[in-house]
Amino acid sequence: MNAMNAMNAMNGTHASVRLSVSSLRAHKRRFAGTFLAVFLGVAFLAGTLVMGDTLRAGFDTMFGNATSGTDAVVRSADAITTPGESEGVREPVGTDLVTTIERAPGVAAAAPDIQGAGQLVGRNGDPIGGQGPPTLAGNWITDPKLNPYRLAEGRAPEKSGEVVVNRGTAERGDLKIGDTTTLRTPDPVKVTVVGLATFGGEDGMAQVTFTGMTQADAEKYLTARPGEAASIQVRATPGTSQQELVDELTTVLPDGVEAITGQESAAENTDMISSQFLTLFTTFLLVFSGVALLVATFSIHNTFAIVVAQRTRENALLRALGASRRQVTASTLVEATAVAVTASGAGLAGGIGIAAGLQALFPAIGFPFPEAGLVLKPLSMTLPLAVGVVVCLGSALLPARRAGRTAPLAALRETAVDTSGASRTRAVTGAALIALALGVTLGGVLLTPSLWLAGTGAVLALAAFVALGPVASTTAVRILGGPLDRLRGVTGGLARRNALRSPKRTAATASALMIGVAVVSLFTVFGASLKATMDQTVSRSFAGDVAVSTPSFGAGGSGLSPRLADAVQRLPEVDTAVGLGRGVAEVDGKGRALTVTDPVALERTFDLGTVHGSLADLGTHGMAITQKEADEQHLTTGDQTRLTFTDGRTETFTVRAVYGRSELAGDYVITREAWAPHRTQDADTVLAVSFKDGVSTDTGKAAVEKVAAQYGNPEVQTRDEYAQSSAGGIDMMLTLVYALLALAVLIALLGIANTLTLAIHERTRELGLLRAVGQTRPQLRAMIRWESVLVAAFGTAGGIALGAFLGWVLVKASDGASDSAFAFAMPSLQLLVVALVGVTAGALAGLRPARRAARLDVLRAIATE
Amino acid sequence: MTTTTVTTTVPTAARVVDAVKVYGTGDTSVRALDGVSVDFPVGRFTAIMGPSGSGKSTLMHCAAGLDTLTSGTAHIGDTELSSLDDRRLTLLRRDRVGFVFQAFNLVPTLTVAENITLPLDLAGGKGDREWIDALIDVVGLRDRLHHRPGELSGGQQQRVAVARAFAGQPDVVFADEPTGNLDSRSGEEVLGLLGRTVRQTSRTVVMVTHDPVAAAHADEVVFLADGRLVDRMAAPTADKVLDRMKAFEVPS
Repeated sequence: MNAMNAMNAMNGTHASVRLSVSSLRAHKRRFAGTFLAVFLGVAFLAGTLVMGDTLRAGFDTMFGNATSGTDAVVRSADAITTPGESEGVREPVGTDLVTTIERAPGVAAAAPDIQGAGQLVGRNGDPIGGQGPPTLAGNWITDPKLNPYRLAEGRAPEKSGEVVVNRGTAERGDLKIGDTTTLRTPDPVKVTVVGLATFGGEDGMAQVTFTGMTQADAEKYLTARPGEAASIQVRATPGTSQQELVDELTTVLPDGVEAITGQESAAENTDMISSQFLTLFTTFLLVFSGVALLVATFSIHNTFAIVVAQRTRENALLRALGASRRQVTASTLVEATAVAVTASGAGLAGGIGIAAGLQALFPAIGFPFPEAGLVLKPLSMTLPLAVGVVVCLGSALLPARRAGRTAPLAALRETAVDTSGASRTRAVTGAALIALALGVTLGGVLLTPSLWLAGTGAVLALAAFVALGPVASTTAVRILGGPLDRLRGVTGGLARRNALRSPKRTAATASALMIGVAVVSLFTVFGASLKATMDQTVSRSFAGDVAVSTPSFGAGGSGLSPRLADAVQRLPEVDTAVGLGRGVAEVDGKGRALTVTDPVALERTFDLGTVHGSLADLGTHGMAITQKEADEQHLTTGDQTRLTFTDGRTETFTVRAVYGRSELAGDYVITREAWAPHRTQDADTVLAVSFKDGVSTDTGKAAVEKVAAQYGNPEVQTRDEYAQSSAGGIDMMLTLVYALLALAVLIALLGIANTLTLAIHERTRELGLLRAVGQTRPQLRAMIRWESVLVAAFGTAGGIALGAFLGWVLVKASDGASDSAFAFAMPSLQLLVVALVGVTAGALAGLRPARRAARLDVLRAIATE
Repeated sequence: MTTTTVTTTVPTAARVVDAVKVYGTGDTSVRALDGVSVDFPVGRFTAIMGPSGSGKSTLMHCAAGLDTLTSGTAHIGDTELSSLDDRRLTLLRRDRVGFVFQAFNLVPTLTVAENITLPLDLAGGKGDREWIDALIDVVGLRDRLHHRPGELSGGQQQRVAVARAFAGQPDVVFADEPTGNLDSRSGEEVLGLLGRTVRQTSRTVVMVTHDPVAAAHADEVVFLADGRLVDRMAAPTADKVLDRMKAFEVPS
């Protein structure tokens, strides 16, 4: 009996599969859109994962190669890590330790490794790098096995002023052996390139620039005091393992200094790169492939819903002939599986192709990509496949169940078109959702500022918009299409009514675009608000006339010479010139960034808000802090607290002043005198200058520029330029975001084209009739294009509304949840551009279906049963 | 090309000369029209009859500019159709020809009124308001003007189609089995309407049908068999037409 059932079930399945296969074969075109949607989403996901793994493996190999000769690294044990930084600042170790180490058993060689920031100026006078990846300078370690860099051409630096540069940097700056240029340490140092180096077999460690100088030069320019190094690299004698070496070293090292194996050090470096760059990069890309796949879900669902609706009679006939519900459902699902598997498989291959392409492209744009085969990990192979199949099957599930529910009697009915409108339940659920979403978000924004509440509200709002789509589509299309009747006559009227025919379908098609546009709008609003915030910050806190700054986006660059401030101060045009340096210390056990400056001048050039106490007399043991930190640490003027510096020394500081605004000045201010005993490499991040009365900005700026030219020629900016350059990184990021979201929007447009193609198929006879009674081909094409534009306009309008709202929520929630004030800005112009792009894209999406419809043979169309 | 002198006193609204239509090629080719010459005079209601596969629908499609002839010529008024490109043919159909099909005559998204004026709206013109107004009364649908086709019965839908066909005052209206999907009473109404419109307003109607009762409403019936014109009958009655049709079945 059981066997019989199993047999029947088997036969049933066979029948389902046979039906699906023949259906797929007959309707290849219908699934082209679905295929593309899954393909693009999966390819993006797989590409991201493969590229991330490959980059990570590449860096592993590169660091492994570069540091293979180093068996142990000696460095100070404690690091001070400030919030927002992944790598702590370590106290330097004395170079005199080298002698101690060299005497230890198992040690073959040891060399100090001095590290600092040094930015080279290229042949054309522009600094090289500094837009993110660090610009490093150090001593050229003479023991080739201990030096991670290998000399590729030329020779090692022998006397002061000679440097070795990594080959990638030299190429970017068009520097050759024998060229003389400037190295900003940040004090300008005249250097001659005598050699070119490689790192782990590559022209450089990604975009990081490296300049190697003699040990004496490095100590002179890169450290605060001679005789200090960041670490000491140690090589073991043959037969001594890395661990044995570390154990030996540990016994001879003083307190506060540790030894780690070369492997651990390499792993730390790889991790640092991974966490700083790769993780951010891949997470970013994964979010976008998520958006693309979400959009794809809607497109796929829609395609299957339409296909099932069109096949109502066929399915009903099957049911009438005795096919079970399950068999009909299964046949649709098998169809979905076939599409899912082929599209995901193709997407996976496409993703690997993307990764390979990028690997080939990176070196071409000057990013040395470690030369290694693509890394295809099982996870990055299975995950995109699984996601693709799940997304496709999940999207097809509801339509498949609907197919199974087809009543046998439907075979006899004429209509096969799903014209069901929005139900009352949907309207009520949607309205409830929207109310809930509004309540939660507004609560999260206005009452108890919380990003979590606001985020939950945002997701609810998205769900509400999707649920309300069919309810809103009728009204929205009627309004949006209103002008069409007047402008385009009967063609426009027909287009509008066609878009109104199946509110559910119109809404589902538009939903895909809506999500894409919503994310675009969200970023647009958020970006504009960030810019406004920067602008507001500068105009509120910066009271100076010009600023000299290093690129603010990313930590690259070597900063400004602290001597620049003094030089500018001596100008007759200048009233006050104040440089802001950066230091770190532990306050009450927590790492904090310090602003090292002249507090009196600071107060004159920056608006610090309400100041309690006085910044005039901080001296060597006084400091000024923001109100926020004062509240957090329970400090007030006159209180004392202990600061631990990177050199391990702890000193007691007295709070002399508490000020209100921290945006540009930072949370802790100490004097240069207080910092001097603990200083590392000196550099200012920004120099603010205010002119004497009667000095025009142009005159003053020209004078400052002349002085700056002698200090490596950093850029001198007016207040407006300063504000704009602070926001420059945002535009760059937005461009990247738009490029990535273009993919999601493309998938949504494919969805529109697909729905239209299917709708045209349904309306073959109607189109034939229209052509028979005198609709010209251009009129027919226009009718379909306008329908496409209307659907796109509906999606775009919904997306902009949702995106702008979510942008507002994000800004307000960030404002409430963080201490710095966020300004909200509604970028009407940009949103208008988004709207135009959405609508134009809709017209483009309609092109192909319109062309196909216009090719329709009139006679055959009327004759179609 | 041979010139056939057509000696008619009345001008023709539509005519085909030596019409040949071949579908397919080689072994599978079918000769749907095999040298048919016929004219449809102005102001007359002509029915085309014949058994299935006789080529009657093909003749209508070619005469109306919906399909092209393999050889021979088709004219609407003085316009020779084979010289027209798709755009001109479309405009000709829109401005000078009316159509009533067996089913699916109306655009479901448009109201009755909008369906009636559809060809005029496509042309972007206003049409003759008085004429359309009169037409609406003739087909008796004044109270239904703002309904959608889905809200009408089959007979009512065909009456709207008839009104649409005449709305632009075309040279000729082609009707392809206009009563094929209707019950006999509704069919009778539609046929009466076609006949009345021809007689009262001197319009020209060419109707393809296989129903002798429908054919009896026409002024003249032309009989087609195997792609050839085999007979013409003036002042037909249902019985006479039925007898003639039976004759086709016996010899072959």
